[in-house]
Amino acid sequence: MLMQIKDLSLNYGDQVVLNNLNLDVNQGELTAVLGASGAGKSTLLRLIAGFESPTSGEIFIDSKLVSDSKDVVAPEKRGVGIVPQDSALFSHLTVSQNIGFGLPKGSDARINELLNLVGLSEYADRKPASLSGGQAQRVALARALAPRPKLILLDEPFSALDAELRARLREDVRRVLRAENATAILVTHDQEEALSLADRVAILRDGKIIQSGSPTEIYNSPVDLGIATFLGDSILVDGHVEDGKIITALGKITPLNKVSEGQVGVAAIRSENFYLQPNPSGDSEVIGRVFFGHDAVVEVQTPKLKIRARSNGPFAPEVGMKVTVWVRGAVNFYPSS
Amino acid sequence: MFKSFATLLALVSALTLSSCTSGEPNPNASETLQQKDSLVLYSGRSEELVQPLIEMFEQESGITVEVRYAGSAELAAQLLEEGENSPADVFFSQDAGALGAVSKAGLFSTIPSELTSQVDKQYSATDGSWVGVSGRARILVYNTAKVSDLPVSVFDLAKPEWKNRIAIAPTNASFQSFVTAMRVVEGEAATTSWLEAMKSNAVIFEKNDAILNAVEQGVVDAGLINHYYWFAKAKEIGKDKMKSKLAAFESNDLGNLVNVAGAGIISDNSASRAFVDFLLSNKAQTFFAEQTAEYPLVAGIDIVEGLTPLTDVRNPKVDLSDLDTLDETLELIRAAGLI
Amino acid sequence: MRKPPALLKALGIVAALAALIPVGYLFFRLGAGSEKAIEELFRSRTIELLFNTTLLVVSVTLTALVIGFLQAWLTTRTNLGFGALFAVLATLPLAIPSYVMAFSFTATFPSISGFWPSWLVLSLATSPYVFLAVSAALVRTDASSEEVARTLGLTKWQVLVRVTWPQVRPAATASSLLVALYTLSEFGAIAILRFDTFTRAIYNAYRLSFDRTAAAALAVVLVLLTLVVIWFERRYRGDYLSISPASQKRVRISLGKARPLAVTGLLFIAVVAVGIPLYSLVNWSIIGSSTADLSQILEALLGSVSLAVLAGVAITVFALAIALWIVRYPTKLGRFVELSVWANHALPAIVVALALIFLGANLFPWLYQTTALLIFAFLILFLPNALGTMTTPIAQVPKSLEDVANSLGVKGNRSIFKVVLPIAAPGILAGAALVALTVLKELPATLLLRPTGTETLAVRLWSATEELAFSQAAPYALLLVVLGGLPALALNRQARKALSEVGK
Repeated sequence: MLMQIKDLSLNYGDQVVLNNLNLDVNQGELTAVLGASGAGKSTLLRLIAGFESPTSGEIFIDSKLVSDSKDVVAPEKRGVGIVPQDSALFSHLTVSQNIGFGLPKGSDARINELLNLVGLSEYADRKPASLSGGQAQRVALARALAPRPKLILLDEPFSALDAELRARLREDVRRVLRAENATAILVTHDQEEALSLADRVAILRDGKIIQSGSPTEIYNSPVDLGIATFLGDSILVDGHVEDGKIITALGKITPLNKVSEGQVGVAAIRSENFYLQPNPSGDSEVIGRVFFGHDAVVEVQTPKLKIRARSNGPFAPEVGMKVTVWVRGAVNFYPSS
Repeated sequence: MFKSFATLLALVSALTLSSCTSGEPNPNASETLQQKDSLVLYSGRSEELVQPLIEMFEQESGITVEVRYAGSAELAAQLLEEGENSPADVFFSQDAGALGAVSKAGLFSTIPSELTSQVDKQYSATDGSWVGVSGRARILVYNTAKVSDLPVSVFDLAKPEWKNRIAIAPTNASFQSFVTAMRVVEGEAATTSWLEAMKSNAVIFEKNDAILNAVEQGVVDAGLINHYYWFAKAKEIGKDKMKSKLAAFESNDLGNLVNVAGAGIISDNSASRAFVDFLLSNKAQTFFAEQTAEYPLVAGIDIVEGLTPLTDVRNPKVDLSDLDTLDETLELIRAAGLI
Repeated sequence: MRKPPALLKALGIVAALAALIPVGYLFFRLGAGSEKAIEELFRSRTIELLFNTTLLVVSVTLTALVIGFLQAWLTTRTNLGFGALFAVLATLPLAIPSYVMAFSFTATFPSISGFWPSWLVLSLATSPYVFLAVSAALVRTDASSEEVARTLGLTKWQVLVRVTWPQVRPAATASSLLVALYTLSEFGAIAILRFDTFTRAIYNAYRLSFDRTAAAALAVVLVLLTLVVIWFERRYRGDYLSISPASQKRVRISLGKARPLAVTGLLFIAVVAVGIPLYSLVNWSIIGSSTADLSQILEALLGSVSLAVLAGVAITVFALAIALWIVRYPTKLGRFVELSVWANHALPAIVVALALIFLGANLFPWLYQTTALLIFAFLILFLPNALGTMTTPIAQVPKSLEDVANSLGVKGNRSIFKVVLPIAAPGILAGAALVALTVLKELPATLLLRPTGTETLAVRLWSATEELAFSQAAPYALLLVVLGGLPALALNRQARKALSEVGK
C-alpha cells in the first residue's frame, strides 16, 4: 500500500472540514475521490501534499508517517506532485523550463521524454500565456511527473475545460499516468470522470469517505440513497418487498441487493433500466425528449409519476407517443430506516 | 526614440533662447521718483523675525507690503532669473554674499547717499548698491567643561592639539564669508594651509545651530559660529542652563569678522526708499538688537546684555564689498576637501 | 487598432512639452557659457560627485528594494502575525519628509554625517515605494504556483527566490526606478547629513556661488544619469506577466524559527524609520517654549491641503491621459511622451523652479507667482509618480471588457469612461493619494514659485527652523506627518485590499 490515511480530521474553528477520514491508495492505481463541491476534496489534497496540518489523524506514505497533528513533513520532502485546477504554470518560464523545474540541471532527456509523452514537443520554448487551457494542463501534468514523485495529486484538472477537450485530455492523462506507472489521486465532482478514469473510486461526503471500491462496484451497489442519486440519473420509487420482489407503481422489480421479506422502502431505478415500448393503448405518454445523438433522454408521464429513461438515440419515441414502461434488470432497494 | 527626444529638446531650447532678453544693467535712479503706496519685498530673513517689523512699517507709512520669504541665496537666484522683469521692489538679504551676486548682475539701483551714510562705510557696498542693516560677529563657542586653554588666534585652531575638537560649517555662508576675508587679507597659500589643517582637525556640520548644539552636548569641544546663535539658544533654554561660553580672538584677528544683513533696491520708487529708510530707523535697529541680539549698524542703539559693543569688537579691517568673491573661496574649500 | 482620442494626445503632448522645459532651460544656460560649463565638467570633482552619486543611488535602491520586498512578503505571505500593523508601519515613512527624518537623526545623534546616515535615511524613506508596489503585486499573484514549486522539491526560501520574485519583479523594478530617481534628486536630507552628490552640488552652485552655468552643467549630467537609470529599469523589468485571479485559498507560509528574527527586524526598522522621527518631533515640541500660533497653523494647513488636492486632481488627469495612451493605444509618440515625462524626474526641484521663474517672469508675467504656475511645476515634478502608480491598474483591465462594452452599445472610446476607469478606480485613487502626499512634503519649488503670501506646512516648517526655533518647527512637522499619514494609510489599504477579500 502506497498511501494510508487514518482517522484524519481537520477543523477550522467550529467548522469541521474532514471528520475521521480513512483512505488507502495502492501502488500504481488511480484513485478518484468523488464529492460534491465543498465536500473538502481540495483540503484533503492539501493535507496529503503537506500544505496544511491535520487537527488529528495520520497520513502515511510508503509506510512512513508524514503528517499528524504535531508534525508535518515539508511538501518538498514528501515526493508528492500536484496538478492544480488552474494549472498554475510559472508564467515567467517556458514550457520546457516549467517541466524541468523540479529536475536537476542537465535533465534534458527527461524533459524531452515528457514533452513527447504529453504531445507538446513543438511548444517547448513557448511561454505559458500562449497555451490553451488543455495544453496548460498537459504541461502541469508533465511538470508534476518529471521528478517521478511517489504520488500525483490531480485537483479537478479538467473542470475548466470544455466537454470535448475534457474527454480527450482524460484519455491522455490516463495514458500518461500508465506510461509512467504513476500512483495518482484525482479529486472531482464529476461522477462520469471518476467512473471512467479511475481504478478505484472513493466517495467523500460530510468530511469522510463513505464508500470506496471499483467503479463497477460503486456504480452498481451504492451503499445509500444519496450515493445512488449522486451517481447517475436515478428515479426513486416507493415499494415494498413481497416474495423476494419489489412491488412498485411501475410493477414488480428484481432487487439487486439483499432484501428481507416485508421491508418497506425506496427503489432507485437508473434511467437506462427503463424500456419504453411504443403502444398506442399504453397508459404512459412521452412528454419530453433530449436528443444526444448516440442516445436520448426521454421524459415520460406514467399514471402515478414522471420518469426519465435513456433510450437508443435514433429509435427513441417522440413527444406525444403513448408507451408502456418496463423496468429491465435488477435495481437497488433501500429500506426506510 | 532618443533621437526624436533630442530633436524636441533642441526645439524647446531654441524657443527659450529666442525669447530671452539679455540682462542689461539697470539704469540708475530716475530723475523723478515714482510714487508708490505698495511694496513687494523679497526677504531672505525669516518671517518670524521680519513680520512684526513689516506691520510696524505699514502702520507708520501707510504703504502695504507684500513679502516673499525664502532663503537669501534662493531669492538671489530667483532675482537673477527674473532679471529685468522682477516683481520685487526691495531685496532684504541675510548676508552680503547674496546682495553681492545681485549687485554684480546689475539688478540693484543705487541707494541715495542720505540713507547709506547712516551706516559705517565698512558695512555697506562701496558702490552704494546695497546697505548694511544689522551685523553679526564670528566667534568661538566652547564647552566650559572641555576647554580651558582658549586659542589666541583663529590660526591656533590649525595646531595638532585641536584635532577633532573644533566644529565648523563649511557650507554655511557666514563661514565662507570668513574664509573669503582670510583669503583677501592673508592670501591663498595661508588660507589653503589653514583649510587643510581644518580637514584633519575639524568636525564638519551643516549649520551654526548644529555646531552650537554639539558643543552644548559636549560632542565637540568648540566651534566657529555667529555670536547671536548663542544668545538665541540662551533665550530658548535659559542662560543659566548653557554649558558653553563665547570667546573672541585677539585684536584684529580674522576670527572676529563682522558680517552683515542688508538691503538693496530693485525697483527705485518712493515705497522702496521708505522701507530702506525704515530699516535704518531707531525703531527697526532697536528691534534687531532686542530680537536677534545682532549688532545694530546705526550708531547710538542699545545692544543686548552681555554682548561686546561693535566698536569694541576687535574686528579685522576687511572691506565687506570684497567678500563677494565666494566662487574663489569655494574653490579653496573644495580643494581642501571640506565640502 | 483604435486611434487614441485627441484629448488624450493633447494632454500627453502638453505634459511632455512641460517636462522638457527644465531640460531646455538647462541647455539654454549651458549655451550662455559653454566654455565655463565644459571646464566645470572636466574637473576631478565631477568624477568624485559621479562616484558618490552612483554609490548612493545604487546602495539606496538595493537596500530599499530588499527592505520593501521583505516587508511586503512577510506581511502578505507568511505567518508573521500583526501583518496589518507591520504594513502600516512599513508605509508610514512615506508621511515623513526625508529632511525631517534626517533632521531628527542629527538631533538624536549629533555626530553623524556622510555616506552611511544618508544611505540609511534615504533607504528608509524610500522603501515604502517598493513595499506598496510589491504588496499589491503579491496580493494579486497566484499563490498556487508557489505551492506547486514546493511539491517539486523547493524549500520555502528557494520558492521565494525562484517563483515569487520573478512574479513581482516588474512591480519591484518599477518602484526601484522611483527610488533611484528620488535619491538622485534628493537635497534636503543629504544637505543635513552632508554627503556630496550632484544634487547637492547643484544647490550649492546656485546658493553659494550663484553660478548658474556650473549648476546647469551638473544638472545636465544628472539628466543623463536619469536616462541611464531608466534604461536599466526598462532592460531589467521583464515582461508584465498576465495576472491570474487570486482565487486560491492562501495558507500563510510558516516562518518557523525565523519568525522572531523577522518580527525583530521589522520592529527595528519601524523604530528607526518612524519611532526616532516621531520621538524627536514630540521632544522638540516639549522642550523650549512652543509658541506656535493656531491661526497660522490653520492657514498653513489649509494652504497645504488645497495645494495637495489641486495638484492631485490636475496631475491625475494628465497621468490618466498618458497611461491610457501608452496602455491602450501603444504608439511611438506615446512612448516618447512617457520617456520625456520621466527624463527630468531626477532634476532637483530648484532647477525646475528656476526654469519656471525664468520663463514665467519674462514670458508669462500674468502666470508668474500664481497657484497655476506652482501646480504646473508640481505637474513637471511629480507626474512620473502618478504615472508609475496608475499605469498598472489600467493595464490590468482586460481588453476584452472594452470589446464587451462596445458590443453592448457603448460607443467607441466611451468605453474608457464606462469600463476602464471605474474598474481601475482604486488604483487611480492610490496614484492621486501618492501625488497629494508628495506635494504636501515638497519644499524648494513651493518656496520659490508660490504666490506671495501663500503658506504651507512645509514652508512654515522651513521658516521656523531657519530661525533656530526647533520647538516652533515641531508642531508643523508633526502636523505634516499626521496629515501625510492619511494618504499613506489609504495607499497601504489599497495595496493590500485583495488580501482581506481572499481570506486568511
